[in-house]
Amino acid sequence: MTVGKRDGKAGQDVLRRIGEASVLILISLADEPRHGYALIQDIKELADVELGPGTLYGALDRLERFGLIESLPAKDRRHPYQITAPGAAALRVHLDSLERVSAAGRLRLQLGGI
Amino acid sequence: MAESRATRLVETVLRCYPARWRRRHGDEAAELAALLIKDGTPAVSIAWSYLAGAAREWLTPRPGQRLSTAACALLVAGCALGVSGGLLASAAPARAATSQARGPAHCQPDSVEPVPTAVRAIGHPQVIIREAGHGRSC
Repeated sequence: MTVGKRDGKAGQDVLRRIGEASVLILISLADEPRHGYALIQDIKELADVELGPGTLYGALDRLERFGLIESLPAKDRRHPYQITAPGAAALRVHLDSLERVSAAGRLRLQLGGI
Repeated sequence: MAESRATRLVETVLRCYPARWRRRHGDEAAELAALLIKDGTPAVSIAWSYLAGAAREWLTPRPGQRLSTAACALLVAGCALGVSGGLLASAAPARAATSQARGPAHCQPDSVEPVPTAVRAIGHPQVIIREAGHGRSC
């Protein structure tokens, strides 16, 4: 039931519908602040995903609007971004949720005998 | 030379963003594009990504901007399309009437042989009259 899902743990997962790019950005910012170019490079390294600059700025704006990241004072012309406390909490919930789904998937694959 | 052309392309695309966005990210976005181009990313794919981002930026309603504004913009665009479609549609019978009026008496629709069934089945009387009128010796 959809209602049950919304009331359960999935309902607390605010990153569920925010898009993959936003989640990758949050993961990249989880250890230290980064600016746009460093984010693109880091995400390419950690997830083998090449974020387009247009996608990057769209996701950064969205995350900032939700209060999940904040921009730091500009260095040269670059704005570093850092994850906020609500951002870190949301990321933790989302990763837990992914882990549960992943574990269930693996279990079912074993049960299926493939 | 090629690099400056690529930079110009990206700068042109960046102008598609709303002014508010350009004030906030414009300089940084141009610098990021320059770095990516230096890394070997094709300028066209950077420009395409910025273009898609600009479209999203215009279409996504901001907190300060009411949803009704976006809805109104869509409505106006729809009306404009409807009006131009209507004008095009009304131009066809007008043209048909003009050619009918100019033509001689034997061009009257009643005086010509029947039109093919396939044309009649479509059910566009204006088209039928015109085709019928010019089907013989006009």
